[in-house]
Amino acid sequence: MFSPLPMKQISIKVLNEDLPGASVILAGLSNFSPDNRPYAENALTEIPGQHFREQYNQAKSRLDKISALVSYTPAPFDGEVTTITEAELEEANQWLGEAWETCSDFEERQRRLTEESRNISQLETSLANFSNLDVDLGQLQQDQPFLESSIGMVSSNRVEQLKDAIGLDGYLLFPFLRSEKESHVLIIGAKRTEHSKLKSVLDTAGFRPLDIPPELHTEPETAKSRLAERHAAVDENSQQLNLEIVAWRANALEGLEQTAHTLHLAAPYVALGEAARRSGKLARLQGWVPAEDMAQVEAALQQKLPNAFVLESRDPLPEERAIVPSVMRHSRLFKPFSSLVMQYGVPRYGEVNPTHLFALTYILMFGMMFGDVGHGAVILGAALIWRRKLGSFTPFGVAAGISSMVFGLLYGSIFGFEHLFHAWWIAPLSDPLYMLTVALLWGIGFIVISSLLNIINHLVQGDRLGALFGDNGLLSLLLYTGMLGTGYSLYAEGSVGGFWATLAILTLIGIFAHKLIEQEASIGERILVAFIETFETITGYASNTLSFLRVAAFSLNHVALAIAVFTLAGMMGDTGHWITVVLGNVFILVLEGLIVAIQVLRLEFYEGFSRFYAGDGKAFKPLTLS
Amino acid sequence: MNSQRDQAYLKTRVGIYASRLLSDEDIRILKQMSLHQLGERFDLLPIFEQEIETRQKSGLVEHQLLQQLMNELKVLLRPLSGRSRGLILYWPRKYELYNLKTLIQGKWNNLGIQEIRHNLYALPENIRLPHEALLQAENVQEMLRQLERGPYSQIASQARNIYEEQHENFSLGAAIDRLYYTGMLAQANITDCSDKRGLKKAIGSMVDRQNILWLMRYRLVYQFAPSEVYYLLIPYGGQIQRDKLMELANVEGLDTIIEQLPEPFHSLLAGSVNITDARQRLDFWVSDELRKLMLGSRDGVVAALCYLISRDTDIWRLYAIIQGKLLGMTNDLLDEAVSGIKGSAGSEEAA
Repeated sequence: MFSPLPMKQISIKVLNEDLPGASVILAGLSNFSPDNRPYAENALTEIPGQHFREQYNQAKSRLDKISALVSYTPAPFDGEVTTITEAELEEANQWLGEAWETCSDFEERQRRLTEESRNISQLETSLANFSNLDVDLGQLQQDQPFLESSIGMVSSNRVEQLKDAIGLDGYLLFPFLRSEKESHVLIIGAKRTEHSKLKSVLDTAGFRPLDIPPELHTEPETAKSRLAERHAAVDENSQQLNLEIVAWRANALEGLEQTAHTLHLAAPYVALGEAARRSGKLARLQGWVPAEDMAQVEAALQQKLPNAFVLESRDPLPEERAIVPSVMRHSRLFKPFSSLVMQYGVPRYGEVNPTHLFALTYILMFGMMFGDVGHGAVILGAALIWRRKLGSFTPFGVAAGISSMVFGLLYGSIFGFEHLFHAWWIAPLSDPLYMLTVALLWGIGFIVISSLLNIINHLVQGDRLGALFGDNGLLSLLLYTGMLGTGYSLYAEGSVGGFWATLAILTLIGIFAHKLIEQEASIGERILVAFIETFETITGYASNTLSFLRVAAFSLNHVALAIAVFTLAGMMGDTGHWITVVLGNVFILVLEGLIVAIQVLRLEFYEGFSRFYAGDGKAFKPLTLS
Repeated sequence: MNSQRDQAYLKTRVGIYASRLLSDEDIRILKQMSLHQLGERFDLLPIFEQEIETRQKSGLVEHQLLQQLMNELKVLLRPLSGRSRGLILYWPRKYELYNLKTLIQGKWNNLGIQEIRHNLYALPENIRLPHEALLQAENVQEMLRQLERGPYSQIASQARNIYEEQHENFSLGAAIDRLYYTGMLAQANITDCSDKRGLKKAIGSMVDRQNILWLMRYRLVYQFAPSEVYYLLIPYGGQIQRDKLMELANVEGLDTIIEQLPEPFHSLLAGSVNITDARQRLDFWVSDELRKLMLGSRDGVVAALCYLISRDTDIWRLYAIIQGKLLGMTNDLLDEAVSGIKGSAGSEEAA
């Protein structure tokens, strides 16, 4: 519960032919994570299923492309679990290949129609532009005895260079309709025999000549209507193509579902990757399984594998801790908190899983900083109403709402009204110093627990030196205790307590000495680094502790904001008063609620997790059929 | 990136990294070393000791050397943000453009997925195209459709034009190279670097080198008309600008071109017997210019860019030596291979 589940490294030796079947069985259990490390035995060198993998990748890519084009979403897998043979996969891939050929043709036709539509639009724009020009375009279109001319489009950012380039051959270029991407240009020059010179440079420049309707000059309206007709024809062709695609989809649906089913079942064998090796008729696969699931794995293999197999398992070796995947199984209640913890990182195998502590402290701090029965009830209600949209995050909203309501009762606050009922504990603004003291004590407790967890984590990893001398180790914790004791003595008795001061100084010397020894540098550099790092330890503890004052500050802020809203409301008439109260509460709920949620997360991550949680573990990625 | 702290970090890093750059003497010594010695010096022994084909070994060496360069790039990127980061991150895009060329030409020539994949550079994700999706395209049209939906739509349109009109294959490569350099110049223009003059000088020297070589090649080898030659050049070089390029595009013959070139190119290339000779001289010049700028610029971004380009050149020279040793080349052939790489500040050689 408080650390990832104990794992077993398993090795399954099977006959070659049973390897795909074994992968499907394990995927059905969803508790086997392949271990892709090289094998110790040199005998098992060959990675099986190369052709299978290639076929699968090609088929999957084809299915994805077809799905995107015809808007098909494969249904979640719920069919019979069988083993897919290479021949079946090849057959599915071949079917998909033929299907994609048709779809690729659809896609190409779509592209051409889009291109044509774009060209017609450009022509329409040109037409509008030409109609304003005092130029006989008919002349430009006709073959002239001494003049050569072209109208077309080129990339806008190359117009100037093209102008210079054809200028070398004596041609003139006039851009007349520029857009960000393309520009219309008119090219004129004296006619010459070596026409290919201009053509060659225009081809290189990607010049696209414009097909100007011959009626343009004499009958612009006819030209316009012709272009409109062409546009309509393109639209009709597009509609026709869409109908063809829909019809094809209806015909191919069964085939798509079958192939999707085949690929679902083929995926586990592909996902095995280098975790499976073979030599001759024997194959072996290795991976990680939660220790509590071992019996289930063995029973499933015994029941479903047709031939004999050998299952071996062992505990992870100490040197393997960094690569053992971490499995955390949480109840529905803790899932959203686990997701937030994962945002920071995956716990290392053996490391303390902070999810439960995070959930408890997050909810408590949220309530302390945003205590209001009314606002809490709104959060609770919203979480319940939108539970479908929130999905697994619903318990998070519910818990935050309840916590806010409970602290609202303790603070005597409902929608900012502070006098409707008596506070069960304390109204924050009645004694701000008391609130700040509580927050400070809460912070001290939080930091002490975080440091203890850090010590435990080091001990679990076998790092005794780190547990004792490392950052946030035992010595640092004692230094913190000494600092707190000294501070309290100074505050309460007006003098530095002898015991606490001695503790602080001795631990400080210990930390400094350790940092001095662990450095690998010249003595001067060692002293400098050790001094800075030791100083950083002291300032770190002090600033982190003070950081928790925000817990009280936000509870005070909540009340202060409510007072501001009521002061504003008091300046209004009856209707204005209630409108201001409602809008003010919405403002507090949305803006302050969001800020508090972020601030609590910040306290958790920066003041808590950074002390004890490496978060660089390996996520458990089991073979699945989904 | 403007803070003094970030400038100091970048300059210190470049200062430390600069000691890794190879001098001509280093290259001479490396050429004399055995494969085992080279493996020891550059941590490549595990690759050399593997029982795999020479081609595979060569691929692994290339991958590892490129990885070293990308790791250094990552370190130099650390303090950078905004446009300075954009500029430094633009530089390795040349590898992605090589990949793009490989992908298009591979599909064009109906090569298998494995064959094309083998020839792609492994790059960091933030500058990489979705190779796998592109490789799974079943023909060149499908791949061009995919590319047209991404940041390389301009190249894809050009390639489609070439594919459909059956134009010469080289124009695709020329378009890709031109896109790279113009993109680099555009990045330099908008960056907030404090030594813009140095930055433009660095990029300008590469563009000048490229323009001179393209000019010679298009005019003398492909025999293009002046207008086409000029269109294919980049009119924003360091020392050879628009008007001079227009003038040069009209010139015929290697000697006449060299005669018309402004200084320092005129003296540098005087007596070149062919384009290869001219390229080697230009490469030495670019390499020297970049190293001088790296050490002399007051801006860390300029120093970092010059370092990366110089380091890139060195890595390909080293790769050429190792590949030559793997293939059992004679020292003469090795000399030729290495000098062919020197100063691949440009683009086409490394491809």
